[in-house]
Amino acid sequence: MSRFVRSALASAIGISLAATALAGCASSSSGDGTGSGTSSSPGEWSKEYDGTTLNFIGEATANTQILEKLIPEFTAKTGITVNVEQAPYDSLVQKAVLDFTTKKGNYDVLSIPYEYLGAFAEKQYIAPVDDFVKSPPAGVGADFSTDDIIPSLWKASSNWKDHWYGMPSNSAVMMMFYRADLFNDASEQAAFKAKYGYDLAPAKTWAQYKDIAEFFTRPAGAKLAGQTLSDPFYGATMAGKRHVATVLEWMNYSWTNGGDLFDSSGQPAVNSPQNVAALDYEKGLTAFAPPGFTSATWDEVTAQMQQGTAAEAITWGDTAGAMEDSTQSKVLGKMGYTDIPVAKEGDKTEAHLGSWTYAINAESKNAAAAQLFMAWALSKGVQTELANQGGLPALTSTFSDTALQAKLPYWKQELSSLNQAKSRPRIPQWSGISDAMAVALSEALSGQAPSQAALDGAQAKITSLMSGALPVTYQ
Amino acid sequence: MAGTGIAERGSKAPVPAPATRGPRTGPRRRRGWGPVLAQGPSLLVLGLVILFPLAYSINLSFRSYSLVIPDHTGQWVGLENYSRMLHDGDWYQALLVTAIFTVCAVTIETVLGVAVGVFIDRLRRTRRIAVSLLLLPMILTPLVVGLMFNFALNSQFGYLTWFFKTIGFSAGVGVLNTGPGALTALILIDVWEWFPFVALMVVAGLQTLPKEPFEAASIDGASGRQSFRYLTLPMLAPILGVAVLFRTTEAIREFDKVYVLTGGGPGSATTVNDLYQYRVSFQNWDLSYGATLGLVSFAFVLLLSGILYRRLNRKEVQR
Repeated sequence: MSRFVRSALASAIGISLAATALAGCASSSSGDGTGSGTSSSPGEWSKEYDGTTLNFIGEATANTQILEKLIPEFTAKTGITVNVEQAPYDSLVQKAVLDFTTKKGNYDVLSIPYEYLGAFAEKQYIAPVDDFVKSPPAGVGADFSTDDIIPSLWKASSNWKDHWYGMPSNSAVMMMFYRADLFNDASEQAAFKAKYGYDLAPAKTWAQYKDIAEFFTRPAGAKLAGQTLSDPFYGATMAGKRHVATVLEWMNYSWTNGGDLFDSSGQPAVNSPQNVAALDYEKGLTAFAPPGFTSATWDEVTAQMQQGTAAEAITWGDTAGAMEDSTQSKVLGKMGYTDIPVAKEGDKTEAHLGSWTYAINAESKNAAAAQLFMAWALSKGVQTELANQGGLPALTSTFSDTALQAKLPYWKQELSSLNQAKSRPRIPQWSGISDAMAVALSEALSGQAPSQAALDGAQAKITSLMSGALPVTYQ
Repeated sequence: MAGTGIAERGSKAPVPAPATRGPRTGPRRRRGWGPVLAQGPSLLVLGLVILFPLAYSINLSFRSYSLVIPDHTGQWVGLENYSRMLHDGDWYQALLVTAIFTVCAVTIETVLGVAVGVFIDRLRRTRRIAVSLLLLPMILTPLVVGLMFNFALNSQFGYLTWFFKTIGFSAGVGVLNTGPGALTALILIDVWEWFPFVALMVVAGLQTLPKEPFEAASIDGASGRQSFRYLTLPMLAPILGVAVLFRTTEAIREFDKVYVLTGGGPGSATTVNDLYQYRVSFQNWDLSYGATLGLVSFAFVLLLSGILYRRLNRKEVQR
């Protein structure tokens, strides 16, 4: 090798090493956990843990971002400092599991997706907070009350085998987003009626949902509500990447079609006729989706709705704030939010719950301070602020707040969807199930395999994954 | 190790050894603690960072250890992971994808690399600039390369997507949204990133070739093509072999670009071996099965590089 090549290689290696070293900078834990022992009057937040530092990690979504901004208020009340780390879904789960298994206790409080609740609770990675839930200690401020937390949401997100492991940090639930401005346009209404023989309105059934998607799919240069389109416009957008987002969206099509991942006896039923039909239906919808749906997750769906490139979507309620955010959205005030369609009119609608929960690391040295933080995050003031800034609270009182209902077009729908919400399995095997489903759905949606074959494959994988753990008795 | 090898070779050489160490009696001279002291620390570090994880992985591959499933706590399961691997259709699919990726990428890189290397070697004044330009894709972190192309190939606003549409190459759907399209894109991106490596090796190799055989060939009336075919290529072979060895072992371990660009999709069309193992270990948290797959891949790469290395050595001896 010539000296030149060698030095070139050396510099290349040097650069990559430097990059690795940079990427390897990890967060470190601090905090001595000593309290100054200051007592406070009843109804006020305790200063007992003054000087403690907590490390918190949450998903990089509106709720965590807003919470981070509010932290100084918590520090002022309790003297506890909180380091907030934000990470996307996959990365957050990885950081959490690595911290748990190394028993480092780097993170005191973690906001975790509830499908991992069973796994983390069974492995004793997270500590139960039953005592706290039964009777919150004296140091908790009067603006916190366990009675106010939405019961179904709380149970689904934080209760595993009759133990409480935390409190909901997010109340995400899936619903239908649609472009109310287009649906209310007189010329579009007339054209739709002429073509399909019924009035244009938010879809009640999946058949209508598809008609609407087809109706609104238009090439560049066509007219949409009287305006000439400079870019193509699409009927419906959806997540189709080999990613958990695709699985969660598809479960709505499945549930409303009478399908599910497990049957009533707790056996895998992934390739049931109802599920195959639901997947075929979704595949049919892709004809009206923006190109690139096979690499889209909830992020792309949100961006496409925000940019006004699609007419409807089945997506997450916690992205509604982004639609109504004047700094990022092109569809401000143009959106409508309603129930997810059903197979035939009159059927019970379903809504996929996507809650997250605050949980306390079993290895945390600051558990008491961490509980205080959790309670503060669920206190009325913080929850109202979450609502005001585009996040989602977990309190009944915040959702029934008339001022917020008047201000936020999606507010009523969030509560009604939450009341209909259904959970996905929270069993420890979920990550494997979700991966098997993501492969199958992505294969079918991208046309690499027929729906039946793809779901047959997932059924075999999930059956083998669940061997020894069937029937599923606890979801 | 390398240090002792040099010492041995030195002692066999007819030239007298440096006087400071005293006269040497031959290859069987006693070695003191010097080599141990000199090599010891690095061997210890090497052992810690290579042998310990290796031994741990081997141990793990006979157990059942999941970070999320309660009753998989590391109990001994014998060869269960290995038998699972033999019946794992997803893994075979991943191997197939890896094989296609590696063979196509390395072949194109080698052919293109030789062509560009020979071309650059003939440049006079611009050679330095050309070589520096060649380095550009190589010094980018693979992750950055992935992100760059992720942007360029975005099916709605990517400039390459726009370009393909303009020349009528792809009909509406982005290239990353079909199985063959995504795999082809990954191969070509790898070629873009790494053919300069082969080209640089070739440029370096050409400069070390002796002039005499070429002069003799031209006197004998050999054409440019003939002297390239019968002189340049055979003499370049060892260097090309090293380049191919490097690229093959690297391509088999491809991960970053796939992770960023396609996530292994659509479906499992671009799920290469490493990505599959990553999913097993760090998304399904099945560490023991992940260790099994990792070990088998490691053994395979070791075997492959062993074969290539021996063939190279034999060629050198033949000359």
